[in-house]
Amino acid sequence: MDRPFNLAPIRAHVDRIYDIKACIRPFRTKGPRLDVEQIGDALVIHNYGHSGAGWSLSWGSADMQVQKAMSRSPKRIAVIGCGIIGLTSALMAQRAGAQVTIYTREPFQSTRSVRANGSWTPASRMALASEAPSNLGDVWERMTRISWKNLRQYIGLAGNPLAFADHYYLSDTPFDTALPPPAPSPLPVPEFYALGDRIGDITPKLQDLTPDIHPFPVKYARRTTRLFFNFSEYGHRLMSEFYAAGGKLVMRNFHSPGELAHLPEKVIINCPGYSARDLWKDKAMIPHSGQTEWLIPQPEVNYGLTYRNVEALSKSDGIMMIDTGPRNGLPKGYGSSNEMPNRAEAEAAVRIMEELYSRFPANPI
Amino acid sequence: MELKTVLVAAIVTVILAPGIAVAQKGRISIWDGVYTEPQAERGRVLYRQSCSGCHGADLSGNFETPPLVGRFMPYWSGSTLDALFDYVSTSMPMHNPGSLSPSANTDIVAFMLKSNDLPSGSRELSTGNLKAINFDSAKPVSKHARK
Repeated sequence: MDRPFNLAPIRAHVDRIYDIKACIRPFRTKGPRLDVEQIGDALVIHNYGHSGAGWSLSWGSADMQVQKAMSRSPKRIAVIGCGIIGLTSALMAQRAGAQVTIYTREPFQSTRSVRANGSWTPASRMALASEAPSNLGDVWERMTRISWKNLRQYIGLAGNPLAFADHYYLSDTPFDTALPPPAPSPLPVPEFYALGDRIGDITPKLQDLTPDIHPFPVKYARRTTRLFFNFSEYGHRLMSEFYAAGGKLVMRNFHSPGELAHLPEKVIINCPGYSARDLWKDKAMIPHSGQTEWLIPQPEVNYGLTYRNVEALSKSDGIMMIDTGPRNGLPKGYGSSNEMPNRAEAEAAVRIMEELYSRFPANPI
Repeated sequence: MELKTVLVAAIVTVILAPGIAVAQKGRISIWDGVYTEPQAERGRVLYRQSCSGCHGADLSGNFETPPLVGRFMPYWSGSTLDALFDYVSTSMPMHNPGSLSPSANTDIVAFMLKSNDLPSGSRELSTGNLKAINFDSAKPVSKHARK
């Protein structure tokens, strides 16, 4: 077994927090909305509601929806929204030969997408089990596999728009220790749609590491390898590709779906993300807020880890941390639309990591 | 209608249509003094309590929260005021959407209008006539004023 030599410690201290980002995942109880509807003389192809899997599923979802769009042989296509789903939809439409205009109220770097975790998490809570369409598993697998293939082209490039990193799960108690019963929940506890092991052939497996071959000051450790996005470089490359292919970006706010019928483009791919709850009155959209805290970058750290429900990952623009622990018996942030950064929560997450690294022998930091 | 009348109407339309909003009969504009100063003041207090945490005390937003001044005008231009009111009523405040009363939301909308240098008037904004108020980005030129 490979030994994880020379792991640089993360300098986990609250005075190194330089940004806190909060956002709402576009969770949709029925799974992503991918249907087509006619508004006036415009064909609207929906592409939203990918929950915490937007970054992961974006290319595959875009591929499916652009195929629907191209069935009308349009010369020009409009894309509504410039998050990761909108941007990849626009690029896919360009690759299919269309001239594309993105209409958005926010530039890419201010969208909720860029406040996400940005890891390969294609199975992140796609739908409620009770409301998922019967073909969701098949649709999801197709999106996942097409995305995986498309992401390959960005691996190994300068600036690492996409990169792999080892990820360690650490614990002071055995991983199979029974969890305490969850706290009473004020809301019904959601049962999410189970996707099963459909992509095991492209997903690295977990390995148990014995204490003699890992450097962490805990008794129990596991390792896998995960793919993640470096937002700045990846976003920059996608925007550059979009402009290089003649794409236009128009800053615009839509107040009602009917306004889409007045666009000059008559084939429209609709990628509003969580805003669909307001613009399309889509009550299946349920807020699911999350927060990441960012510490000053440490290029010498080339791994991630999870300990006591706090996940840390070294990215090019910082050490990202996120507390994923449940709250009041519910997944953290489920049902909440609070997008206010919470400093106390950020510091609590960093202190968990600080305590872990303080137990390293001869910790140089 | 006589041919002469039709031609005159067509010429007037061609001259006035590009880039200039023209007040339509029976409709009013956000530029017509659709709120009162006391109402905007009430809205200012409510805004500070419920909105300023994200949008800022001066409504300028931040990197991730949209401003309510500046681009606010072109973003809502072309709609009617009920669209803005409905959005505020059903989607805001973000952490607890729909939690404010209709009168509180009309007060907040009045404050937003004032903050964008739109003139006040003698009648309060109410939920009854929002759909008849055009959200024009510039003051419409009335036919009467062009004579």
